[in-house]
Amino acid sequence: MKTRGKVKAAMLGFVVSAASLPALAAPSIEELAERLAGMQVEMDILKQQLENSATKAEVQVVKKDVATAGEWQQADTLIHLAGYADVGYTDSASADSSFNLGRFSPIFHFQYRDLVMLESELEIELEEDGQTVTNLEYLTVDWFVNDYMMLVAGKFLSPVGQFRQNLHPSWVNKMTSAPPGFGHDGAAPVSDIGFQLRGAFPVGEVRTNYAVYISNGPELISGFEDGEFELDGVEAEGFNTDGDGEKVVGGRVGIFPFAGLELGLSAANGKATVTSVEDGDNSVLGGEVARDYDVIGADFNWQFRKFSLRGEYVETQVGADIGGGSAASDGATWKTWYTQGAYRIGQTKFELVARYTDFDSPHSSQDQKQWVIGTNYLFSNSFIGKINYEFNDGLSGSNAEQDRLQLQLAYGF
Amino acid sequence: MKNLVFKSANRVLGRAALFLLAILVTNVSYGFDFPEAGNFSDGSKAWSENCARCHNMRNPTDLRDDQWITSVFHMRGRAGLTGQETRDILTFLQGSNARVKRVEGGAVKLTETASDDISAKHIYESNCIACHGANGKSSIPGTPDLTAQNGRLAKSDAELLGNIINGFQTPGNSMQMPPRGGNAQLSDADLVAVLKYVKASFYK
Repeated sequence: MKTRGKVKAAMLGFVVSAASLPALAAPSIEELAERLAGMQVEMDILKQQLENSATKAEVQVVKKDVATAGEWQQADTLIHLAGYADVGYTDSASADSSFNLGRFSPIFHFQYRDLVMLESELEIELEEDGQTVTNLEYLTVDWFVNDYMMLVAGKFLSPVGQFRQNLHPSWVNKMTSAPPGFGHDGAAPVSDIGFQLRGAFPVGEVRTNYAVYISNGPELISGFEDGEFELDGVEAEGFNTDGDGEKVVGGRVGIFPFAGLELGLSAANGKATVTSVEDGDNSVLGGEVARDYDVIGADFNWQFRKFSLRGEYVETQVGADIGGGSAASDGATWKTWYTQGAYRIGQTKFELVARYTDFDSPHSSQDQKQWVIGTNYLFSNSFIGKINYEFNDGLSGSNAEQDRLQLQLAYGF
Repeated sequence: MKNLVFKSANRVLGRAALFLLAILVTNVSYGFDFPEAGNFSDGSKAWSENCARCHNMRNPTDLRDDQWITSVFHMRGRAGLTGQETRDILTFLQGSNARVKRVEGGAVKLTETASDDISAKHIYESNCIACHGANGKSSIPGTPDLTAQNGRLAKSDAELLGNIINGFQTPGNSMQMPPRGGNAQLSDADLVAVLKYVKASFYK
């Protein structure tokens, strides 16, 4: 349209100038003819430009294509950065209130077609003294064998139960903390290094999923108390070597009797050996042999519209020493369970949550019963504000009995 | 006694693992047509039944098409999905992540054009039921109760059709209804038919 305007202006200029010519000087016929020929050439060029220019509609189509074009759409290799982070505030009766940084956990995904994916999560935390600590939460190479099976190799989150493998990210966990016994030093295994087969398949109308693994297994810590050794804990956090050469085999089977309800059973079996002394000298250990190591678990998860209810039980049993080692001769059992309900209020962004946990340990200082009630506000579905109050019941004078108020902002990306 | 239970449970688990391995590893295949298209309708159902098991539903517009590929394949392992369910959910999310169109006025004139062979009930059950539920009361948080008095369906047909065609984002809500319910294959006539079905079935 602008070009047409220019042509009209040129024509008008020509007519005006032609009309005013007699008042100034009278150009010759040849000069006028020459000017006319020049203008004809100019007009032809403008016409050509007009024909070659895009219409508004064509421009709109191009704009849309540019806006929706994906950089990686045609690539066989895809790279994606995901993850989560949280910050918060804690106040309890026994300690001064403080703002705190939870953790920053970037997750890397590298995928080649539908054949293989490398996924890894880092866990970057700030210690109380301000030091930054980085851990490798998991790193696996996932081979998509077929529609019903994938091979997961590397350091993987334990498939025993649901909390560790599915619910621990702060933007997923509806509470500000993990249930007692499901953290990094509890009854439930955290991660392991080995090979895992997992997948899903339908049985008639019923959906099922499964995970089976073989791994290095955990290591045991011994404590020295009242003049004698006793088992202090199980470190099931993915050791990069298998000190006793004894492997652990385990897994989980899940079933969906109907949409919205999942039931799961987990188990692991193998051997584990005492390799360290809590806050002590490891050189005092001698003659340690591998002990029996068994885990069983059960979990459920029920969704009904805006209401969800889930629960989980895990028991870890370590056998007695039968080899005459210097560490604890007796075995020990850790068990924990929790149930958690959540309700999204109407069409609002508020969610009410409550959880009860009972953690039993061989050590009374670790035993804990805990009620948590709270309210979440969903700024978006992956950016959540939480306010929790914990009612803790544990050994008198220990941290396990201190009630706490916690605020948290969690963001998953 | 307890040890016996432990050992029995693990023996069963071990045998089940071997059985699975024998059956499943015989069907090794790769998708040469990557990313292989899934079924939109099955994907919407699988999405609504699986994702909220652990976390709040992510809005399909949260990620681009290519980002959804890696996210959904990651979730295949986490959520225990089959390869087909993975492709179906991916197809649904990639079809539903178009931004809501901002149309002045928003109302669209209803025509009496009849839909093709597909019935309005079938369209609803294949495209809308995942979020709005079989009874219109919504099946996931963030979607309105269509049966509510003076609720969404109290709007004029022209405005509702405009919202269905162009998509709708309730101010402040985390979830949007994608244009044409995420299924670009649905014609205006299909959407007119499904609107009439929804009003007849749920509007009090």
